[in-house]
Amino acid sequence: MYRYDEFDEGLVRQRARQFRGQVERRLAGELPEEHFKPLRLQNGVYLQLHAYMLRVAIPYGQLDGAKLRGLAEIADRYDKRYGHFTTRQNIQFNWIRLEDMPEVLDRLADFGMHAIQTSGNCIRNVTSDPFAGAGADEVEDPRPWCEIIRQWSTFHPEFSHLPRKFKIAVSGGGHDRAAIRVHDIGLDLKRNSEGEIGFEVICGGGLGRTPHVGVTVREWISKPDLLSYLEAIMRVYNRHGRRDNKYKARIKILVNELGEAGFRKLVEEEFAAQHESEKVVLPQTEINRIEAYFAPPVFDAALPTSEIFDAARKTDKSLDRWARHNVRPHKIPGYASILVSLKPLGAPPGDATSDQMRAIADIADRYAGGDIRVAHEQDLVLTHVRLDDVPSVFAALQAAGLATANGGLITDIIACPGLDYCNLANARSISVANSIQEAFSDPNLEDLIGRLHLNISGCINACGHHHVGHIGILGVDKKGEEFYQVLFGGRADERAAIGEIAGPGLRHEDIAPALKRVVERYLVLRSSPEETFIDTLERLGQAPFREALYGAS
Amino acid sequence: MSSERPKLGPDIPKAITGWNSRTGRVIYLTADRNWSESLSEACVMTGDEAQEALRFASTDQVRVSDPYFMQVTQDGLISGRETLRETIRARGPTNHPMFGKQGGDL
Repeated sequence: MYRYDEFDEGLVRQRARQFRGQVERRLAGELPEEHFKPLRLQNGVYLQLHAYMLRVAIPYGQLDGAKLRGLAEIADRYDKRYGHFTTRQNIQFNWIRLEDMPEVLDRLADFGMHAIQTSGNCIRNVTSDPFAGAGADEVEDPRPWCEIIRQWSTFHPEFSHLPRKFKIAVSGGGHDRAAIRVHDIGLDLKRNSEGEIGFEVICGGGLGRTPHVGVTVREWISKPDLLSYLEAIMRVYNRHGRRDNKYKARIKILVNELGEAGFRKLVEEEFAAQHESEKVVLPQTEINRIEAYFAPPVFDAALPTSEIFDAARKTDKSLDRWARHNVRPHKIPGYASILVSLKPLGAPPGDATSDQMRAIADIADRYAGGDIRVAHEQDLVLTHVRLDDVPSVFAALQAAGLATANGGLITDIIACPGLDYCNLANARSISVANSIQEAFSDPNLEDLIGRLHLNISGCINACGHHHVGHIGILGVDKKGEEFYQVLFGGRADERAAIGEIAGPGLRHEDIAPALKRVVERYLVLRSSPEETFIDTLERLGQAPFREALYGAS
Repeated sequence: MSSERPKLGPDIPKAITGWNSRTGRVIYLTADRNWSESLSEACVMTGDEAQEALRFASTDQVRVSDPYFMQVTQDGLISGRETLRETIRARGPTNHPMFGKQGGDL
């Protein structure tokens, strides 16, 4: 993975020193909260319901053992011995005191981490496919491009005060596991008609109160021209994006107002008008330099199958079930990627204790070349594991309480922190997630249902990505009472779609029984056990599921 | 994005709450214009007295961040449409009984 050089480290330490001074002035009364707030947000510090919250950047969701142990240390020394992995592949600490923040940022810098680009109206932390570099279907590893975009965008003076926040995601082609069509810019590595690898550029996607699926503004742009093209988009947005109304300030609104063709025309004109001297044309040597950091590990010449793994599956039913849901194919025969579910029954989705972080770090170092990823589904991934080692990894995960066998199933719920922690939320998310997990806790039932993505947000800001869940749940406030709207038909993959609201909101206690009826209806209506929930929904439409949701016979 | 709280009429009993600027803990304005982490020590006010107290709180930035009115009964119990939110702030997250003030974390 990318290692900070002297320049990166100097930048991060300089920012930490700068924030130390800002905190000191705030606590001495020299800086009012009104002026301090944008400064703390630029350093990932929010004020939430119970305390300050620190969001730490995990660029494109990649960690190694040392970094994860470092995060565990932060959790132990300054928080409550846990952290919360987010849908943007970052981690949040919910209980850190402001007076401790400078020390925390210093400590983060010690192991090459920071909170830059985790908040504010800038280009945020770039996200990617958690299986990047391992997925058999990818055209190319997207991580070098995430890192190139990170270096280009960090503290970019022209794009540090955008109309609103700006999110970029990069996928390596093939199956979209990075939700690129619901980002401000989504980049998909693909070949042109000559076989050359470049990017499809998708723009104007996003969730929140005005959800949109992005549109393709460029079918293909070459690698050397990528940053110039991104600059053209950013300039159009900076010039024409609204600053008078924060609810209409995201680029998706601009794309929608100008229309796909109108927006594309402006971008292409801006791109064409760039003077040669101002173009950011990446030299191949620089691309090579960055790519070298992401060179694949040395894989053993293993057999495509593993007798050890196969034999263990035959004798251990729990391993076999976990393997079916949490072990994913790898591009190298004899290897697999492992999804470490952070969705055990009854716990907040995405939370990991400091002990669990250390356990994962140890497992990754021993069995996965130290390579750990954060998935936007709020799970972790051990990217490169020999099939022979899978039973040992399973045993180690079991010992750490991390072997929940629900990857991609209905209890692998994406959920924001909701009203239990968040200052913006209208309703709780965690308790609803837990009630649904309880309702579907029978492993046989979960296996029968198969793949079903269920996403929950505690307010319209949609941090829980409810619009793109096969089933989405949105918490709303109705005269002081929590209600939950249900959406059907969303998806975040290459066929991205925004779910449709089924009807009136349901009470907290009614959500799990209602979803039980919906799923029972699906099991009756599906054409075969292979037809997933979303496929059945797309074949039949919402009506039968809406009926089941509201209890009609 | 900022959190906006509902407006409360002048006659509705209210307390002033915010966050300890140094720690981020939830605090309440007391009758002697100090701040307490205990809701039971919050000063219940209405009308001009409440407005004057909020003006004071807004200038007391070393001690408190983002003070605002929260609805309470005359006895100082949480009430109104933000009852759940303020109960969670006063006690702690409902999913974890050991976190927040409910777990003795003062």
